[in-house]
Amino acid sequence: MSDNHDHPEHEQGHEHDHDASEPGAPAPVTAEDAGSQALSEALKSSFAIIKIVMVILVIVFLCSGIFTVSSQEVAVILRFGKPIGGGAGRLLRPGLHWSFPYPIDEIVKIPIGQIQTVTSTVGWYATLPELEAAQTEPDPGPSLNPASDGYTLTADGNIIHVRSTLQYRINDPFRYAFNFASGTNLNLFTGSSNLIQNALNNALFHTSAHYTVDKALGDRTGFKEKLLARVNQLIEEQGLGVAVETSNLDLIAPRQVKDKFKEVDAAQQDWSNARDTARGYANEIVNRAHGEASALVNAGETARNQLLQAVEAEARYLSDQLPYYNRDPKLYLQRLQIEAFQRLMTNAQVEKWFIPDRADGKSRELRLQLSREPQKPTVKEPEKTDATPMTRDVRRR
Amino acid sequence: MKQSTLSVLVGFLLVIIFGLLLFAYQVRQTEVAVVTTFGKPTNDRTAPGLYWKMPWPIQKVYKFDKRIQNFEEDKFEETFTSDKKNLLVRVYAGWRIIEPRIFLQRFANGSVQEAERTLEGLIRTEKNATVGKHPFSHFISPNENDVKLVEIEQEILKSVQERAKGNYGVEVTFLGIKKLGLPESITQKVFDRMKAERDRLVQEYKGQGESQSIIIRATADRERDGILAQGDADAMRIRGPGDAEAAKYYSVFEKAPELALYLLGLNALHEILKERSTLILDQRTPPFNLLTAKPEAPAKK
Repeated sequence: MSDNHDHPEHEQGHEHDHDASEPGAPAPVTAEDAGSQALSEALKSSFAIIKIVMVILVIVFLCSGIFTVSSQEVAVILRFGKPIGGGAGRLLRPGLHWSFPYPIDEIVKIPIGQIQTVTSTVGWYATLPELEAAQTEPDPGPSLNPASDGYTLTADGNIIHVRSTLQYRINDPFRYAFNFASGTNLNLFTGSSNLIQNALNNALFHTSAHYTVDKALGDRTGFKEKLLARVNQLIEEQGLGVAVETSNLDLIAPRQVKDKFKEVDAAQQDWSNARDTARGYANEIVNRAHGEASALVNAGETARNQLLQAVEAEARYLSDQLPYYNRDPKLYLQRLQIEAFQRLMTNAQVEKWFIPDRADGKSRELRLQLSREPQKPTVKEPEKTDATPMTRDVRRR
Repeated sequence: MKQSTLSVLVGFLLVIIFGLLLFAYQVRQTEVAVVTTFGKPTNDRTAPGLYWKMPWPIQKVYKFDKRIQNFEEDKFEETFTSDKKNLLVRVYAGWRIIEPRIFLQRFANGSVQEAERTLEGLIRTEKNATVGKHPFSHFISPNENDVKLVEIEQEILKSVQERAKGNYGVEVTFLGIKKLGLPESITQKVFDRMKAERDRLVQEYKGQGESQSIIIRATADRERDGILAQGDADAMRIRGPGDAEAAKYYSVFEKAPELALYLLGLNALHEILKERSTLILDQRTPPFNLLTAKPEAPAKK
């Protein structure tokens, strides 16, 4: 069949070849015979070529089943539609592999090395990529249009804007590729990415519902953790076959009330400043009080020691002087008195007034004008009044 | 002959391939199939593999994707909670074909688009019914235990599942809220309320800041007074025994009380007159008495 097709130009010679073979081995030596013999030679060699070509074709056919799996992917062979192997064994690791050609086997490659990104589609106000890039925002209207503006509702019935981006990789390639679809084409792998996005959207609402607006704005880390917990729970429950690597979260108060939130922040700042100042004051005065108290205690101790020392010194002096005193008490005391008087009179600090008795022996009237000057330390009146009786006292003895 | 064996082999192979094309079909891992015989569904194929069939026009194979599909509601419509509050709820769901025979019969030629339209209606009905059974506080409430979003999702899912499976050959595997919102006019009211709330907070912080710092200062002042009083008391306690200790030296003074008092007096005088002071004396004060006294007086006794 195939030889006929392959050699249509030798149609003629073919007939002759058959003719030649029929008579058998003895070959008639004619010009025609010689020609047919040459022809059969040619045919034989073309058969050989055909065979070689066919062998090559078979090899090519078998080799066409060789394929590589790159380090970024795994592959699954579907034989008659059914995956070969079971469990982890059905995933072909990176390297060279062989399969029967289509339609017996079908190779499905799953890109597991890539980190994929998905961003939430609800929860953020309507904006344009250009505005976003310029870090500006469209003017906020008085209200939010549910069709275009996204937001979430907090536990206290307030509105916040949240947006989150997840980075994930496929950790169960088989589930990811074979259990989820967004189209009908087997080789177009959106896999479960739409569902991951919706899980994220869902988690935004669930998390917001458990946070008041102040708690959410004040504890973004906690919000993010809760958000991720919900996403992971959904991924687990729905068997999406992915693992979240990183995530980030934008969380803001609505632009319509942004200024009011700033005011509260400022007030809070003032409040904490005032509190810090008060605490600083408190620390300072308490510390100082501790210092003063220990100074008081020290002073008490010092006073005690001084008293003791003074009394001791006096006692020692007295017992030293006692023998001299006992010899003639009166003389001793007078000597002391005069000594003291001398010390007093030679003391430049003391102003002395001497008032002689009147000639008639009557007592003199003495008038003192005492003017107390509060600012400058001058003559100290109390001493003066004290001093005179004292000296008199001493004298009388 | 070599050539003829080869031709026979090749011919045989071609016949097999041709036969397979006519009599066999594959169901892939991701597919389910239903076979119709003269237009009547006869066989469900839910497991992947190679299957036999009679050639067209006797039998015909319909294949469907059995993977979970993502379904999202297009509209974000208002519904009413049981306490007649407006709420906008939009859900998404994952669904798949599990009974291809029912699916094929229910939807013309097994059209997935038509199935999704039907599913949308079904989900909307069940969603509105379920939301209508719950008060607003099950969606939004400051009390954490009141929020029943998970339960509401489960309720909608359950009722959708019940109706979808028998009627459409479809399994809804999960369902969740995708978007939750308030009517536009209400959002404005929410903003007004938020503003009022912020104003209140500002006032609160201001008041609190003042009162707290006053309290802190007052407490500190009291503490300081306490510490100082304690210090005073401690100092007194230290001095007390000092006085007692000093008393033991008094026995020495008792030996000559006159001398002791005299010395003490002199000491006191000395201390007193250390500073600037004025002293007024008369002539009887010794030794000035020497100035007026007759010199004979101090003769021998």
